[in-house]
Amino acid sequence: MSTCYNLTGIRTTYGPRTVLEIDRLTLHCGRLYILTGANGAGKSTLLSHLALLSTPSAGEIIFGGEPVRWNKGALLRQRREVTLVHQAPYLFTGTVAANVAYGLKLRGVHGDELKRRTEKALSLVGLGGFGHRRSRELSGGEAQRVALARALALETRVLLLDEPLANVDRGTSDLLTSVIAGLPATGTTVVMTTHDPDHADRLGGERIHLVAGELTHPLTGVKLSCSEGDQLCRLSPKPAASFSIA
Amino acid sequence: MRLIRLLSAALVALLMLVTVAGADERLRMSTTTSTQDSGLLKALLPPFERRHNIKVDVIAVGTGQALKLGEAGDVDVVFVHARKLEDKFVTDGYGVNRKDVMYNDFVIIGPKSDPAGIAKAKTAAEALKLLATKGITFISRGDKSGTHTKELDLWKAAGISPKGSWYVEAGQGMGPVITMATERRGYTLADRGTYNAFKGGKTDLAILFQGDKGLFNPYGIIAVNPKKFPHVKHDLAMKLVDYVTGPEGQKIIAAYKAHGEPVFFIYKK
Amino acid sequence: MDFFSESLHTALQLIAARDPDVVSAVTVSIVVSLWSTLFASLAGVPAGVAVAVADFPGKRAVVTLLNTLMALPTVVVGLFVYSLVSRQGPLGEFGLLFTPWAMVAGQTLLAIPIVANLTMSAIKGADPRIVPTALTLGAGPLESTRRLVIEMRFGIMAAVIAAFGRVIAEVGVAMMLGGNIRGHTRTMTTAIAMETGKGEFALGLALGLILMAVALIVNMALNTLQQR
Repeated sequence: MSTCYNLTGIRTTYGPRTVLEIDRLTLHCGRLYILTGANGAGKSTLLSHLALLSTPSAGEIIFGGEPVRWNKGALLRQRREVTLVHQAPYLFTGTVAANVAYGLKLRGVHGDELKRRTEKALSLVGLGGFGHRRSRELSGGEAQRVALARALALETRVLLLDEPLANVDRGTSDLLTSVIAGLPATGTTVVMTTHDPDHADRLGGERIHLVAGELTHPLTGVKLSCSEGDQLCRLSPKPAASFSIA
Repeated sequence: MRLIRLLSAALVALLMLVTVAGADERLRMSTTTSTQDSGLLKALLPPFERRHNIKVDVIAVGTGQALKLGEAGDVDVVFVHARKLEDKFVTDGYGVNRKDVMYNDFVIIGPKSDPAGIAKAKTAAEALKLLATKGITFISRGDKSGTHTKELDLWKAAGISPKGSWYVEAGQGMGPVITMATERRGYTLADRGTYNAFKGGKTDLAILFQGDKGLFNPYGIIAVNPKKFPHVKHDLAMKLVDYVTGPEGQKIIAAYKAHGEPVFFIYKK
Repeated sequence: MDFFSESLHTALQLIAARDPDVVSAVTVSIVVSLWSTLFASLAGVPAGVAVAVADFPGKRAVVTLLNTLMALPTVVVGLFVYSLVSRQGPLGEFGLLFTPWAMVAGQTLLAIPIVANLTMSAIKGADPRIVPTALTLGAGPLESTRRLVIEMRFGIMAAVIAAFGRVIAEVGVAMMLGGNIRGHTRTMTTAIAMETGKGEFALGLALGLILMAVALIVNMALNTLQQR
């Protein structure tokens, strides 16, 4: 199985504070990772680095076998292979359809194919036919789903989700969980953060646990060594009975 | 709503396309605010503009600035009333062909009760002397205008250097100065034309001294020297000079009335 | 109060009679101010966005300078442009002094700091999620900035409207660079200054009321462009 990400010697500081310090982390393609940790543990920072949106203060990231050079033209191409959905996502003013189509248009998708992929993404999150609605008129849960559809439409190699199940009702949560669970099967690598241990249990996948910016064992809280960063799967608790799609 | 947006955009665009640059030939003349405010030019210029199919751009500023515009070559012809400054303008080489156009006079105005008693004075200079010795408020133009120049000549003739809190140097045009004198219950030297425009409504000050030879206020028109400024429209400027001093222009000037009274007088030929 | 009712009466009479001097002054005011607002926006919006978005040494100094330029006195701008376009000045050969274009030049200089400053404020106050969202969806730096401007267009339009208000109401630049030439460079404001100088206060105020009405109409038009 190929590696999607190789992080080495990552260290990120904001002024005097070190918010992230990871000696080594390897993420494999086509897998689902659950990123956990308390508030301020560094989850969003890590996601931001994986999204290639922010540069760590030190260290190297190799993405899909290719090193990431932060100020070179290749960055735009690399960044287009990973999509991040924020915890409280921002929808552009305009229609839902325009939002979902945004990234597709940038990649040169037009006309019928654009419409098809937009509708497909909206249906996937249970918002079929919502295209004409204005983004500012949506409820919190609906907005969250539109943001997810917007990312799903792009069918990028990697999908990063920051607390995708927070602030949604149980029904929506179930729907989105099944969508997310199905992604690795399509070859998409998913890294999602959550507070709720329940989600981790329901989805399975491999655990990445951060405490004060450092990789730690999810159960013991002991800081992980380098090799353990390579072999996360050894540490993940046994997945519960896989979630069945209703 | 879309339609209203479209119409608004169209309105904005349309207004902007209206070009304000006129297609006519333009002749530039600087003059004083009092000349413009008298309204004479509205009567005097149109026949000339129609005959020659040009527009005369009148820039009305203080006398000092009007002459400076000529000295910079920013206008083609100058029309002011400050004889000494006009003569200097010509001898310094900025103007050519100065011609007399018309005249009126200055008057000294003040509160009806005449607290300084200048009505009894025999000359204008004497009147001003009375004001100085009694320390009664006098508003000066203070702006190197024709009126101001005349005022300074009178102080000189009276042998006085006006100083003190009673002597107010306004640095403004004739209208604002009359207004200031009205508010402050003071005296000032004004051209009869502007005073006539103000009396009966805008000021309650009265003419307390007039008729002195020294209050004579002649107007002159000067073409800007084409040798110094090749770009000026000299031919057109001379046509204007000839018109203004010719029978047609002079007739209009003599007949012009404001508030029922003549404002300017022409020289007998 | 008599004074105000007289002015209102005069204003309505002038409008009803479509007094040619008033129509001309209104037209000159609107056209000159719209052109200068347009030019100022073309320069000021990108400048404001650039200063807000970029990081460079001396940024604090530039921001302070922009703030200070908002307080530029109109006569100072007028004198500056005057010295450039007078026959004695470096651009004298173009004969721009006492034409509407000189007024446009002066008012543009006056308006640029306003547009730039308020645009900068609008962008700085923008939701910090906008740019990262655009970037992660595949936008490059230019497209993400364009997206940012579109999302903040209400605030940026407000900057443009503020600049328009400033220039249509000013008299220093218009008087000095236009010369208050009847039918050519006489604006509402220079006409008001002139009438006031003649002691015609009621007429001056009447013209002022007409100017406010015109400004209201233009702003209504600009405002509908602002809404979406």
